[in-house]
Amino acid sequence: MKMILRFLKPYKLWCVVTLAVMLLDVVGALFIPTLTAGMINEGVGNRSISVIAEKGALMFLVTVLSGAGTVFGSYLCAVLSAKIGRDMRNALYEKTLGFSDHDFEKFGTGSMIARTQNDVNIVQQAFVWSIQMVLPVPIMCVMGVVMAFSIDKAMGTLLVGITLLVIVCAVFITRKAAVIFGSLQKFLDRINVVLRENITGVRVLRAFNKEQYEEKRMRRSFEDYALSSIKANRLFAGLESLAILVMNLCIVAILWIGGNRIGQGFMKIGDITALTEYAILILFYVIMAQMVIILLPRAKICLERIDAVLSHSPEIYDGSGKMEEVKDTVCAFQNVDFRFEDADEATLGNISFSCKKGETTAIIGSTGSGKSTIAKLLLRFHDIQKGAIVFGGIDIRKIQQKDLRKEIAYVPQKAWLFSGTIADNLRFGNEQATETEMEKALKTAQADFVFSLPQGLNTFVAQGGTNFSGGQRQRLAIARALIRKADLYIFDDSFSALDFQTDAALRKALSKEIQDAAVLIIAQRVNTIVNAHQIIVLEDGKIAGLGTHKELMEQCSIYREIAESQMKGGKTDGQ
Amino acid sequence: MDNRDENLVFDDGYGVEKPHRAMQTFKRMWKSVKEQHTRLYIVLGSVVCYTILSVAAPFYSAGIVNRLWENIKAANGLGVAFRVTWEQGGQEIFLLFLMYLGVWLFSTVQAFMMASFAERLSLRLRTDISEKLNRLPLSYFDRHKTGTILSYCTNDLDKMAEALQTGLLKLFTSTGLIIGSLIMMFYFHAGLTLIFLVFIALSMFVTKLFSGQTLHLAAKRQQCMGNVNALVEEYYTGRTIIKAFGQEESSAKRMRLATEELAETARKADFMINAINPAIRMVNRLGQVCIALAAGKFLIDGVLSVGAFQAFFQYVNQSAEPLTEASYMVNAMQSALASVERIYEFLDEQELEPDRKMSEKVKDAKGYVEFRNVRFGYTKERTLMHDISFVVKPGEKVAIVGSTGAGKTTLVNLLMRFYEVDAGQIFLDGKNTRNLSRKNLRENFGMVLQDAWLFGGTIAENIAYGKQDASREEIIAAAKAARVDFFVRTLPKGYDTILGNDIETISAGQRQLLTIARALLANPSVLILDEATSSVDTRTELEIGKAMKVLMKDRTSFVIAHRLSTIMDADLILVMQNGDIVEKGTHEELIRRGSVYANLYNSQFAGD
Repeated sequence: MKMILRFLKPYKLWCVVTLAVMLLDVVGALFIPTLTAGMINEGVGNRSISVIAEKGALMFLVTVLSGAGTVFGSYLCAVLSAKIGRDMRNALYEKTLGFSDHDFEKFGTGSMIARTQNDVNIVQQAFVWSIQMVLPVPIMCVMGVVMAFSIDKAMGTLLVGITLLVIVCAVFITRKAAVIFGSLQKFLDRINVVLRENITGVRVLRAFNKEQYEEKRMRRSFEDYALSSIKANRLFAGLESLAILVMNLCIVAILWIGGNRIGQGFMKIGDITALTEYAILILFYVIMAQMVIILLPRAKICLERIDAVLSHSPEIYDGSGKMEEVKDTVCAFQNVDFRFEDADEATLGNISFSCKKGETTAIIGSTGSGKSTIAKLLLRFHDIQKGAIVFGGIDIRKIQQKDLRKEIAYVPQKAWLFSGTIADNLRFGNEQATETEMEKALKTAQADFVFSLPQGLNTFVAQGGTNFSGGQRQRLAIARALIRKADLYIFDDSFSALDFQTDAALRKALSKEIQDAAVLIIAQRVNTIVNAHQIIVLEDGKIAGLGTHKELMEQCSIYREIAESQMKGGKTDGQ
Repeated sequence: MDNRDENLVFDDGYGVEKPHRAMQTFKRMWKSVKEQHTRLYIVLGSVVCYTILSVAAPFYSAGIVNRLWENIKAANGLGVAFRVTWEQGGQEIFLLFLMYLGVWLFSTVQAFMMASFAERLSLRLRTDISEKLNRLPLSYFDRHKTGTILSYCTNDLDKMAEALQTGLLKLFTSTGLIIGSLIMMFYFHAGLTLIFLVFIALSMFVTKLFSGQTLHLAAKRQQCMGNVNALVEEYYTGRTIIKAFGQEESSAKRMRLATEELAETARKADFMINAINPAIRMVNRLGQVCIALAAGKFLIDGVLSVGAFQAFFQYVNQSAEPLTEASYMVNAMQSALASVERIYEFLDEQELEPDRKMSEKVKDAKGYVEFRNVRFGYTKERTLMHDISFVVKPGEKVAIVGSTGAGKTTLVNLLMRFYEVDAGQIFLDGKNTRNLSRKNLRENFGMVLQDAWLFGGTIAENIAYGKQDASREEIIAAAKAARVDFFVRTLPKGYDTILGNDIETISAGQRQLLTIARALLANPSVLILDEATSSVDTRTELEIGKAMKVLMKDRTSFVIAHRLSTIMDADLILVMQNGDIVEKGTHEELIRRGSVYANLYNSQFAGD
């Protein structure tokens, strides 16, 4: 709740006007039966056409005014909901920009997308419904009762009784419904998950003869949902039934008691119409509001999910220090320990090495040995628990992330391109890049295929780069990094999608291009890194060997095993 | 992916779909609700009673009001106060009360009876769909997107349930109420009824006017929503790159642009949707004003009684809403029928040929496999494999190599009977696999696919998928053999880590290792590895190979691999090209031959 108020704050005036306008609807609804009653009373009493015409004109005016007011209110409502939706989405996105990988993974990409899109949608919808259907209810109840009292004290009391009865029942049913609807949503999600698994895993489950088991699993999720759904429907049926009962009791009571009051001269015959209408209106508004209120807990959950993101304090903060001019050592790990929160085993333990200008450092190791984590730590996507990572002579925690990353050109393991043109993607690396620079970077990255495309640099790139092959995508990602002037170039397993020839040509071109910067290559293939100045062998998060290819082949058994697993016929000639 | 399916919030029901064969679909639906026929008959009976009472009650109350009024006037004339007593109006009021009680009773009966109707139907259809899934040939899944199949079971059925849930009963009662009310209104005063009808026509016209605009604007909003969706998805997925290249500000700028555009169109669309009800309410109220004016005049003229005046308004209230909602309701019903029609179409898809009756059985296969003159094509028009024959002896390791699209996976698919051969036979332990039940055949195989499939459950559950009663020790042993034990222990909850929708922390390689552990635990007679280690590094691959060799001693295995390092020790290497086997033999034989395999080998192991 507090959060929605925060988002409404800039639009205080809009809110006030909206509420005022919504009032008109209630006034109009109550005024018409009042005037109708007056008409009957006049009609049967004074028999004056002119009075009836006068009341008619007034009714007409009230109807048009309140109608126009309500339509205007709908407009204001739409404006408000559009504005807070936009503000929430922007706030969410901008907040995540400050998140570390770890912060972000706490929510997960899928969930973050859902929060930014669906959750905001639901909150918007609930907001509109609340203003249009819930807020008028108390006003309607109070005004309805007041109007009844103005006709007759006894009838006013009757209406108070009925209103209270309706509200008590409504509160009771809403409480029950909130629980059912909460579980209903969960069951629906479950159906989605189970079915999706069954479709995407069809080969596996058939291979394992799991058809019957899966059928049971699906059936269980369907039944849970159906049972819950039926429960919810019964509740609605009960609500409807209750509404009809109350309405009918009301009409009968008004007739009986009203008849007496008229007989005693406290009110007139037409007032029966007015009172019946008041009662029905109150009932109608309460029931309508209830339909909405039942759905509000879901919106509340969404709101909480949004709030969880917005109030999450990022684990990484910028420092205020300044980097020194990079001299010889570009960056260094000093006894670094890193472990994911709650994990039994540390991902990296006691890692120390440094990258020097003009030199290539390579990291090799098994799947899951922590190679990519080193690159991510250098970019400060996570913070370490022990030791220090130094870049340009200063601990990277003491400087701004922006300044740090400005000095690094990074090629990620998964070559992700953004939708747009090839040129747009290259400008990601360097906004001021000229066409000549782009061409040069593409050539170095062995991405000459771009020049043979009919539209060259302006070729369209689909989201993720899916309209290019894996190898092409990888080379474009490399070009994107190369176009940047940086002190450190990181290639995270960027060569494995390339065939051997391209790999070799690329490395040759790279060594020519990058001469006064440090290079960090994370690789799987020994060929890729034989010529590196130093090779780090990682095993289960620890350094198992550090040296040149030659040294490691002699001293490090793990390195030798890796090499042997890739050498022709198991021979180890180092070529 | 999940998110797109959920975008139902803005399905306002303005897009109308029409069924192609309404009558046929309806008849079939009638059959699908067979066990609920009695229920429907009772509801129909109740609806009839409900309608009669609902129409009669205002009429009766008109009489009461008139009598009360007469009595009051008479009493006033005598100068005494009037009191309602049992004789003086009380009896009639009580009878009216009973009538209303009847209305309440019947409405309650039908509402509760119908509460489970639609959900039962949708449960039935959902179950049919899930059973159908297991009878569909794999080619169906190749041809259709997951989202499409998924939407039958979720969107379509939900739409149907929603429409039927409230719609069906409303359709019954509204029809009755509209007819009954109109008759009574004409009975009371034809002129007033005509005024009423004019305004109904007007509000229908307003509805039509709005819905045309709304449809257009809602589509536009949907498009903007799609744009924002794409952007959000793209930026969240590529967020490391955005950060690594310091593009935070420019991406936020583009995001703000897109959300602004969305806000603009949403405002317009929402306004139309929100305003339609108040607008119609205004038209209806204006109608009531006119009716009241005319009725007032008739009252003075003595054409209309006080009771009739009040009863007339009750009829107006009873029939105005169903009438203005009629077109919307018909649309909803049509869409529901169209949804059901799609589901029936799905249920009518061609199924797998059933297992042969006189089935033979193979238990704990020795692993003798033979392909004899096998011909196969995924479509009738295009034959992929022309004539495949080879023999595998028990305990052999068979490797299948070749470029993408050469038919490596197809070979395995045929062996597992995921697809049926067009000609020729496949034998397991000398028995034609066609004569075995699919279940029995597959019991003998363990399979690991390139696309590692994990389901939402713990890691332990995923590994134990093929052997539900496996102990924790067995699970850990399998994980160790698959070289994934260390990694699992670095995860926050170890083997009890739940793999949710976002399995981001687990790389493709690690997922493959988990599925290998799963296959190893199931301990099959014949193991099939289809690019099972394509995302795993070479050394780990080699280690797994060693571990597997021990586990799979004396068992037949098929290995499809891109990297030749994995398969050099195979007993038989099948080299495939364009669906056919072009070379076969051991590594040494094929290298000596210096043809296709040798070229492939040299291209992969070229040094600097």
